Amino acid sequence: MGEMIYIPTTLEEALRIRKETGAHLLAGGSDIMVQGKRGIGLHPELPYPVMIITSIPELKGITDNGDGTVTIGALTIPSEIASSNIVPWHVRKAAAGMGAIALRNTATIGGNIGNASPKGDLPQPLILLDAEVVLSSESGERRMLLDDFILGAKKTALREDEIIKGVVIPAHSFTYSYYRKIGMRRANAISKLSLSAAAVVKDGEIIDFRASSGAAGPKVIRSREAENILKGHMVAELPELKESFLSAWNDAISPHAMPEYRRHTTRRMLEYFIDEIIRGAEPGIIGED
Amino acid sequence: MPATRIDDRIVRVDAAAKARGEAMYACDYTFPDMLYAYMIRSSIPRGTIDSIDIPKLPDGYYFISAKDIPPEGKNELWMIAKDWRCFADGDVRYVGETIGLLVGPDRNMLRYLSDHIEIKYTEQEPAISIDDAIAVKGGPIVGSDNTLCQLFVEKGRPMEEIFKEADSVFEETFETGFQEHVHLETNAAIATIEDGRYTIYASAQCPFYINKAIAGLLGLQPSDVVVKQTTTGGAFGGKEHFPDVLCGPLLVAEYKIKKPIKLVFDREEDMLYSVKRHPSKITYRTALDKDGNILGIDGLVYYNGGPYLSGTYVVLQRGVFHANGVYNIPNTYVKGIGIATNTFPSDAFRGFGAPQTLFAIETHMEHIAKKFGFDPAEYKSRYFIKKDEETITNGHIIERVMLPEMLEKVAEASDYWRKSKEYETGSGRGIGISFYNHGGAFTGNGEQAIIKAHARLVKTGDRVRIEVGSTEMGQGFQTSLRKIAAATLEIPIENVDYDNPDTSRVPDSGPTAASRSTMIVGRLIQRCGEEMKERWNEGDFSVEKEYEHPEGHPWDQNTFRGDAYLGYGWGCAAVEVEADKLTNEIKVVGIWSCHDIGHAIDELIVHGQVNGGIVQSLGYASMEKMENRKGYFKQSSMSDYVIPTSMEFPKQEWSLVENPYEWGPFGAKGMGELVFNGADAAYIDAVERALGITVHKIPMPPEDIEEALDAE
Amino acid sequence: MLSEIVFYVNDRKTVFSGNPLTRLIDVLREDLHLTGVKEGCGEGECGACSVIKDGKLVTSCIIPVGAVNGSHIYTIEGIRDTDKGKCLVDAFAEGGAVQCGFCIPGMVMAAYALLEENPTPSEEEIRKGISGNICRCTGYDLIVESIKLASEKGGELWAK
Repeated sequence: MGEMIYIPTTLEEALRIRKETGAHLLAGGSDIMVQGKRGIGLHPELPYPVMIITSIPELKGITDNGDGTVTIGALTIPSEIASSNIVPWHVRKAAAGMGAIALRNTATIGGNIGNASPKGDLPQPLILLDAEVVLSSESGERRMLLDDFILGAKKTALREDEIIKGVVIPAHSFTYSYYRKIGMRRANAISKLSLSAAAVVKDGEIIDFRASSGAAGPKVIRSREAENILKGHMVAELPELKESFLSAWNDAISPHAMPEYRRHTTRRMLEYFIDEIIRGAEPGIIGED
Repeated sequence: MPATRIDDRIVRVDAAAKARGEAMYACDYTFPDMLYAYMIRSSIPRGTIDSIDIPKLPDGYYFISAKDIPPEGKNELWMIAKDWRCFADGDVRYVGETIGLLVGPDRNMLRYLSDHIEIKYTEQEPAISIDDAIAVKGGPIVGSDNTLCQLFVEKGRPMEEIFKEADSVFEETFETGFQEHVHLETNAAIATIEDGRYTIYASAQCPFYINKAIAGLLGLQPSDVVVKQTTTGGAFGGKEHFPDVLCGPLLVAEYKIKKPIKLVFDREEDMLYSVKRHPSKITYRTALDKDGNILGIDGLVYYNGGPYLSGTYVVLQRGVFHANGVYNIPNTYVKGIGIATNTFPSDAFRGFGAPQTLFAIETHMEHIAKKFGFDPAEYKSRYFIKKDEETITNGHIIERVMLPEMLEKVAEASDYWRKSKEYETGSGRGIGISFYNHGGAFTGNGEQAIIKAHARLVKTGDRVRIEVGSTEMGQGFQTSLRKIAAATLEIPIENVDYDNPDTSRVPDSGPTAASRSTMIVGRLIQRCGEEMKERWNEGDFSVEKEYEHPEGHPWDQNTFRGDAYLGYGWGCAAVEVEADKLTNEIKVVGIWSCHDIGHAIDELIVHGQVNGGIVQSLGYASMEKMENRKGYFKQSSMSDYVIPTSMEFPKQEWSLVENPYEWGPFGAKGMGELVFNGADAAYIDAVERALGITVHKIPMPPEDIEEALDAE
Repeated sequence: MLSEIVFYVNDRKTVFSGNPLTRLIDVLREDLHLTGVKEGCGEGECGACSVIKDGKLVTSCIIPVGAVNGSHIYTIEGIRDTDKGKCLVDAFAEGGAVQCGFCIPGMVMAAYALLEENPTPSEEEIRKGISGNICRCTGYDLIVESIKLASEKGGELWAK
């Protein structure tokens, strides 16, 4: 009974084991321990070998790269991300709203990305920000857009010999930002729906407009087509463009059966964000008390 | 040490041991040579068992099932009826029905064996909802039309006449869902043999229910089985009859194996395979005159009982007896039907049938008020029942009813009248209000005819030991009862002992249920104490008392006529909400309540009960959704069946009115269930006003609010 | 590669050499008999099994023992007789925070972690601090007030 469990202590060792065995990665354990749970007094069992990487020092910490970009190591926990002033606001906000305190001290950003659950809290704002994931293997490192890395529900482009090393978030300076997570209750909840939005407005022109929807399909939804409807236009044109944007977004979020509530709520939140820009709201965070 | 007085602020006797992690719950016990048990259950809602293939069992492992019940025993758990089988035999009637018990030393092996047991069924079409059961989908589960039990009550003139006289008839149907107890401690029990007697350690409300329910499995008398209650981590009704379902199979296993055997449900088992609050479907047809005055109410109440009676008949009775709420309705006919389905049997849950009808009548009354342009509180207050007025069971209210004073207190604290007027319907902000009650103790003469509670005080030197079958499950009874004894005897509470009951050592005081413990058992202990105090200098002795029903309050259990309850707890709650119009999320911004519980034995304990009951009720109304699809509960964990966290609701404001109850200790009445019975309706009222919607069901999470908005 | 896990529970060295996926809660409750750690849900949702790992509140039911090598773990048994632990236990008792008690050891751990980080939390901060610890009995108000009481009575104790 039971597959092999490995506990490497260095990244080098972890990469070797990964290459040799293809062992699945257990970072904090908050997903895998629940997936394999069998009851009181019993250790989880999983149909694949597992490598516990929790204590690998090279994968921890948040770094200001000096060029405006920020790197977050794969084993960094949400509570650290939430309280870091160099991490962009959308990501901090999402990290602060993940589960409850104990989970925020256990889960990791790498695990949250690697697990690729459509309900995962961190991929949504990271994809909004065009974050890249850094993948490490014995043959070197590669980087790709997180949006490309996550292929669908529980599916990623991670190779059998690779480990998620970290995430690099590019620099942004948004005029307006919006984030909202809707759970089944006010705290300690899995995301039922989440939305990030951001815009850069300069001299009345919408230089950048972006949004991302979590738990609205098999993966986080970003629609450049929809965003392009607004980008480059003047704020004064928003009232007439709004409807086509909302309708394009509505088409982008899960094309299949999506409960009306989540569809309508997404629409209302986006409309609210756009209306705030139209009415010339103070630059900054929209919708915060 | 000074003598304890009843109004002293004291520290709960069990608090420190629990906070220090020293209290021993069932899961914390181990015994030498202890084995573990794992329950094997039906995986289909309805059908016949064609075969059960057990993998070869290693030495020391057992599979216990109906065939292991000895010839002198019967495969039945004696709850109220004897219809619930200990082990399914031949057929299964719900998902999760016990088929057998795997027992052995290693849990890994038990898990492996359970994964390799193969049970083949011939499936039949199940009836899941009340509507399925009414339509006798798949053929009757019980009788010819799935009626498990039924009753009616009537008051005043025949309803046909009333409807003829009416200017209009307002009809509404309300539905309430399953609710899971989610006591933080899951169900657990251990069977062993001590001093040659079968002994059960159980997390339970009613130790004497257990030995009564299970002894017959081995052809024994209840007193042949000893039940010891372990510190119980919450119950709320979920550990009233349900421990029988664990202890029965354990006793049969013990009979075969003769070693300590421990059975602890994990959370998923407790979610999927334990009793729930009865879902209901309640229709009111109300005859009104042209000004909106109520001429009469016709009610039809369905409770989904699952395939076995368990507590359904009694739960239904309480539901029907509370179907007029706190109102004096001149003419009434209410029929109640407990209906059989193929879902897990429903059973006791704080409120015991009253919350469903109270939610329905409160919301119905509120809808009538709005329809005729009255403020709901003002309209409802016209109908407040008063002392000596006739109840729905043709008895009378025996006590002073302080609802007008309670409304005044709550209205003042919450600024209800101003807010009710100023917050416009659909403005996103709303305040709601509700009124409710809860009949104390067993219905009618049940305390005298059925329970015959006993309680005993034993004096040894300066110390006094309480001997009762009542249990502490979190509600604070060990503290309250010690306080009653100490205050009666005028001795320090530190000199009073009261351990978790052991059925071989204490008299049967009746179940710890029905908000009866303080009122009934507390009064018995007070009476014991009064005698003991007079005889204090006689040395060491004991005093035992039996319940005596006050004269002049007749009850006929065949026709359900008479004084159903000698005393009620009464309540008024107001809830204020803000609706987020983008997301339909509801934020509660204020909670105010006032209760009449006679006199509080311990205000701090009452404070905790009020807070906890109201939060449970708000959870019931807002987020606690337990769905059953084709016989399977959809929610199986604490992440998909969510209950309130500390962030959900604001700090509550609460108050009491003083209204001492003639037959309770120091004037106390029951209160554990009362505080659950009404905040749900106040919340729904507030949500309706904030969003301009009409609600006919609970729970109402944002998705359901969206639907209601679309329907407007 | 680690072949055995060495960690410290309530300052006592513990060596574990079984399956590294063994849940920390099982090691604590069954091997070390620290039964003040309660299992409420088994998936990190209720907080009853909360312990402090390297200064941070975690739920021991979703942590594999293989992830705690070198860690310092404190359970209710490890703090209840310290000045801070006593302060919390007394405040919980005095303030009426305890009903059935099953969630309470975990709740005390959450309160401990909160006051260590923030000795004078507001009501809102307390509510947030215990929001991962589910209580079905109390409705939380008296727990919140008891933590406030511990903060006030402990005073300097928490600032240290």
